[in-house]
Amino acid sequence: MLGIIDACTNTTALQPLTFYRSIAAIPFAGRYRLIDFTLSNMVNSGISSVAIFPRDRYRALMDHIGSGKEWDLDRKRDGLFIFPPMTSDLHLESPSLFTQFRYHIDYFLRSKQEYVLIANSYTICTVDFDHVLQRHIASNADITEMKQGDKSLNMYIINKSILVDILQNESHDFYTIKELVRYMAQSHRVEKYEHHGYTAEISSLDAYYKTSMEILSPDVWKQLFINERPVFTKVKDEPPTRYAKKAVVKNSMIANGCVIEGHVENSIIFRGVKIGKGTVVKNSIVMQKGVILENSVLENVVLDKDVKIGSNETLLGESGLPRVIAKGTTQGALMKS
Amino acid sequence: MLKKKCVAMLLAGGKGSRLSSLTKNLAKPAVPFGGKYRIIDFALSNCTNSGIETVGVLTQYQPLVLNSYIGIGSAWDLDRRNGGVTVLPPYAESDGVKWYKGTASAIYENLNYLTQYDPEYVLILSGDHIYKMNYENMLDYHINKEADVTISVIEVPWEEASRFGILNTNSDLDVMEFDEKPQRPKNNLASMGIYIFKWSILKEYLEMDARNPYSSHDFGKDVIPLLLDEKKKLIAYPFQGYWKDVGTVKSLWEANMDLLCDKDELNLFDSSWKVYSVNPNQPPQYIAPNACVVESLVNEGCVVEGNVEQSVLFPGVQIGSGSEVKKTVVMPTAKIGSNVYIENAIVPSDIEVPDGTIIRPTKGSEEVILVTQELIESVAKCI
Repeated sequence: MLGIIDACTNTTALQPLTFYRSIAAIPFAGRYRLIDFTLSNMVNSGISSVAIFPRDRYRALMDHIGSGKEWDLDRKRDGLFIFPPMTSDLHLESPSLFTQFRYHIDYFLRSKQEYVLIANSYTICTVDFDHVLQRHIASNADITEMKQGDKSLNMYIINKSILVDILQNESHDFYTIKELVRYMAQSHRVEKYEHHGYTAEISSLDAYYKTSMEILSPDVWKQLFINERPVFTKVKDEPPTRYAKKAVVKNSMIANGCVIEGHVENSIIFRGVKIGKGTVVKNSIVMQKGVILENSVLENVVLDKDVKIGSNETLLGESGLPRVIAKGTTQGALMKS
Repeated sequence: MLKKKCVAMLLAGGKGSRLSSLTKNLAKPAVPFGGKYRIIDFALSNCTNSGIETVGVLTQYQPLVLNSYIGIGSAWDLDRRNGGVTVLPPYAESDGVKWYKGTASAIYENLNYLTQYDPEYVLILSGDHIYKMNYENMLDYHINKEADVTISVIEVPWEEASRFGILNTNSDLDVMEFDEKPQRPKNNLASMGIYIFKWSILKEYLEMDARNPYSSHDFGKDVIPLLLDEKKKLIAYPFQGYWKDVGTVKSLWEANMDLLCDKDELNLFDSSWKVYSVNPNQPPQYIAPNACVVESLVNEGCVVEGNVEQSVLFPGVQIGSGSEVKKTVVMPTAKIGSNVYIENAIVPSDIEVPDGTIIRPTKGSEEVILVTQELIESVAKCI
């Protein structure tokens, strides 16, 4: 089975997190990017050929994915493919996903795999796609849509020959796979697959914050972080996190390379963050390399990467409506470093 | 092969017998350290950070863990088209298996490896020590002094000098004598087991040493004294900074505790001199609502529900609720159950400490307890 990641989706609902990056590359859960979950699910399901279709602002994504080595996708047979849009399209309205598929139809024609998994880049869950494939085959489906209750996971398995036939012979431009499913329902066999287990779609800032707080619950993170199905990501060679004498940390997820001297509660702290003495961080998310000096208070806040907060600052958001500080911001007394 | 200016040979075959059960199944350089690393990471990262990209790693004792850990060297950026890391185990020839009889013999048996790079200088390293050092500076020193051999030395307290190989030098740091563990030390400059040789000199003297049936084929005991007898120019290179030979359970524990000091001399957080290692790719650590973690280093994949104080937790360690872990090093994926009290100890990888276990040194004693399966069983019987 081929794995296709549709990283084309764009939305303003995630601003300012998507100011410099695509949704797929939004940092999540202390050390990951959203795409890591779909990509790792694919690799853990035995998929060895993965194609990512990004559209714009994909520098962060490319930098993160690199050669695919962390996912064991740097290989001679199959491996990782990145298919950005053709440059001439930059002036036009966004090309449809299908247009992007058509540009790169050779990928489908040259591969030997018979099935294609098409998934989005922003759904957080643990799923065995091989199990879905077995069900797809057993039910003689042409396309299988993964669902949880009424909600679509926006993940589909389709027979490659049918996909190629539509790409080559159907002039209609499908913008989403949902449209394709509706079209195929007229003449093809469409099946559903019910997915169990924790699932979250990061389609808005609210959803981002809510999901981040949810994964602090052991019931949830135990479903997402399973030893046998690891979530792979780019490694950073950070040392272990250092807790100082006066550190107080409760119900939090902390990545490597941090120095915690203050108070952290119900929060997610990414790699290489420094939290100074007397500072209190509650119900917040602090992304990579964030620095908060002494005696500041942060509550219901999301700090994007590389944000620096001085001493004696107070930043408060509302619960359920976090205050987001944009990437690279320096706030408070100017800092020398 | 392209000619290389300097090739490193890293001796990683030692058993480290005084580390007891920790080195039962792995060589000393593979012993876990600092909540993330293996001891050999320091020498390998020093090579990468010093711009030395050709490293032969000599293995012999229990090499499986070490071999798979080193792999093709990508963790240290040493997966190179020309050079990179090469693991050099003992091998068989038509006249028998050539076990490494000593440090010098290990290099002698691999002269072919060095010949293919035809280097100007050879850096000999030990995989047993924890330190950060720029070998490039030492090489510049070696070249400027026009030495045949440069030996890196560190000042040790006089009262401890008799535990080390001591170099007696003149005021220009020319080496006059080498004293292996002297009872009455004349100097306090200890050899760090780091040598830079002119390639031609190394080759000549290793061949000479190999022909000597009375030699124990050791650099410190045999090759260095031979070079001194032959009036070669040996010079000491004074090193300043953190350096530790973690040869015993206690010194391994101490070196871990050193990292928790406010002025941690090793400074693992220095991004200009990163210590690289194979990353385990585990989720972030989770600190539970009733947990307390202070003065500690904790790595990814840990789940802490109890109290952790002045301790070092490696990846994937679990600390159950109601437990107290003090001044303890807990190695990868070890599990500490609930309501456990443990103090002054090293818990090796994969050990499971059952609920309610109490492990602590006897009052007033400063012993460091190496937790083993047998110890856990005997503690369980006492309850």
